[in-house]
Amino acid sequence: MSRFVVIGERIHCISPVIRKAMDAMDPEPILKRAKEQIAAGAGYIDVNIGPAESNGPELMKWAVQLIQGECDNIPLALDTANMAAIEAGMTVYNDVNGKALVNSADAGDRKPYLDLAANVGAACICLCSNGSVPGSLDEITGYCMELLEHGLGLGMEAEDMWMDPLFLVCKGQQDKQGQILDAISFFKENGLNSSGGLSNVSNGAPKELRTHLDCAMLAMSMSRGLTSVIMNPNDTAMMNTVKTCDVLLDNYMYADSWLDL
Amino acid sequence: MPFKGKSGKFKAAIKEVTIGVGDKAVKMGGENVLPFYTFDGGNASAPIVGVYVSDKGVEGQPAAVKAYYEGCATVAEMAKKAAEMPGGDFVVVHFESADPNGDDASVESCMETLKSVVEAVDCPLAVMGSGNDEKDADLLVKAAEVCEGKNVLILSAKEGNYKSIAMSGVQAYHQKVAAESAVDINLAKQLNVLINQLGIPTEETVMHVGTAAAGYGYEYVSSSLDRIKAAALAQNDNLLQIPIVTPVCTETAGTKESLTEEADNAAWGSRDGRAAGMEIVTAAADLASGTNAVILKHPQAVATIKKMIEVLM
Repeated sequence: MSRFVVIGERIHCISPVIRKAMDAMDPEPILKRAKEQIAAGAGYIDVNIGPAESNGPELMKWAVQLIQGECDNIPLALDTANMAAIEAGMTVYNDVNGKALVNSADAGDRKPYLDLAANVGAACICLCSNGSVPGSLDEITGYCMELLEHGLGLGMEAEDMWMDPLFLVCKGQQDKQGQILDAISFFKENGLNSSGGLSNVSNGAPKELRTHLDCAMLAMSMSRGLTSVIMNPNDTAMMNTVKTCDVLLDNYMYADSWLDL
Repeated sequence: MPFKGKSGKFKAAIKEVTIGVGDKAVKMGGENVLPFYTFDGGNASAPIVGVYVSDKGVEGQPAAVKAYYEGCATVAEMAKKAAEMPGGDFVVVHFESADPNGDDASVESCMETLKSVVEAVDCPLAVMGSGNDEKDADLLVKAAEVCEGKNVLILSAKEGNYKSIAMSGVQAYHQKVAAESAVDINLAKQLNVLINQLGIPTEETVMHVGTAAAGYGYEYVSSSLDRIKAAALAQNDNLLQIPIVTPVCTETAGTKESLTEEADNAAWGSRDGRAAGMEIVTAAADLASGTNAVILKHPQAVATIKKMIEVLM
């Protein structure tokens, strides 16, 4: 029923442009990418500042105020291993258009990120793994229930735990793709929101062919009930897939101009 | 587990559109809950009622309509009387005579009439065209010009003539324009997209998404209205977060229930009561499905629907 949520992944410290902008606290390159992603249809912007060991809290606070201040309080995913940075970012976060997302917790060493999300009133992406690649569907669903119970115990709403089935590279983990789709079905059957870094699927494939793997996996995942994805919203083929699937799934009313909306 | 009540208030809201100027200006839309859900903790905006006047006068109309306008010699006098009808919020002037398949009155003569109406009343106005795409492209553009400064509602821009009507109505003369589609939700949305692509903000438009009389294929109207409101609020579809106006009396007037004289079917009782009843049941259903403004002509219907709105709000 609700429209699919695209979390824009382009503000990432691995990108040299963004790295440089974050080092110098230069707003322009970051705002440019935020605005490009929002114009393309991103509902959330992921802000990946890396571990940011020296100035994490300061940097995250600056980035949150910068992007929300200039982009109508767009909801953000705070993406860093630095917990203090997430806490600092949340002190200036405005949730008028949606709760912040902590990216991310898992059922292993990263479980405290779920506690952090609960403490600061954020939602959380919950990777259904204990740090290694899950071997079976049962393992994924087991971690899902473990994280869900943990979060509920902390007073979180189920809808604020976005389950990540852990998308895996097709080249090499071809046999696992069906299991990921089954995990998404499980999330849907349990009424849970979900998300993930879908373009993992096409890692290592020839660059010009990656889009076919990504778009097909996206469409199949959406049909199983995936509710959001972390991706590049400025990838037209991917974004058109999201828009078309939203129409086909009756998440968004059809009009002839659906790809322009 | 203890019961935890949840508000049905949506994060999205219908935009608020104002028609008219000054103290008498009225607002349509603004709600972020389902129709009349005043208990849901959001804004449930009160729908408004338009009083319909035809430029062809009252010939053939039900007795109470004739009686109400007794003594009126011109359309302007009727409009003035309509503006005083208890329960009405705005006046709708329908240029029925302009229909090329009917009297085919000239645009010039219609504009003379409209000028006299604009001078006679200070309440919010809506101007309804002939329904013929080509004629209305001329008539409604000129009407927008004649009504400059009055912030009137132009009914309607359709797929075949939206460009000239929306451009001149909103851009040139700053009126509000209704985008009309015939019970087709996808076309309703597409028309909003097209008008928006002309550079016209959705705040300057309303929607007329089709109408039918109760009992005459009405279910499609009701499900269209429901579906549009659900998409606007639950799916946060900003191209549908636009108030809806539904002309009611133009549809119900043609039904046998409204037309048959008591002399021709004594068992049905008074024609006047039936004509009012058809307007009332149809309008009540439209409002329950999310229409933000209904257009009625029978004084009893206007009073009854207004009372219904007041009681439910």
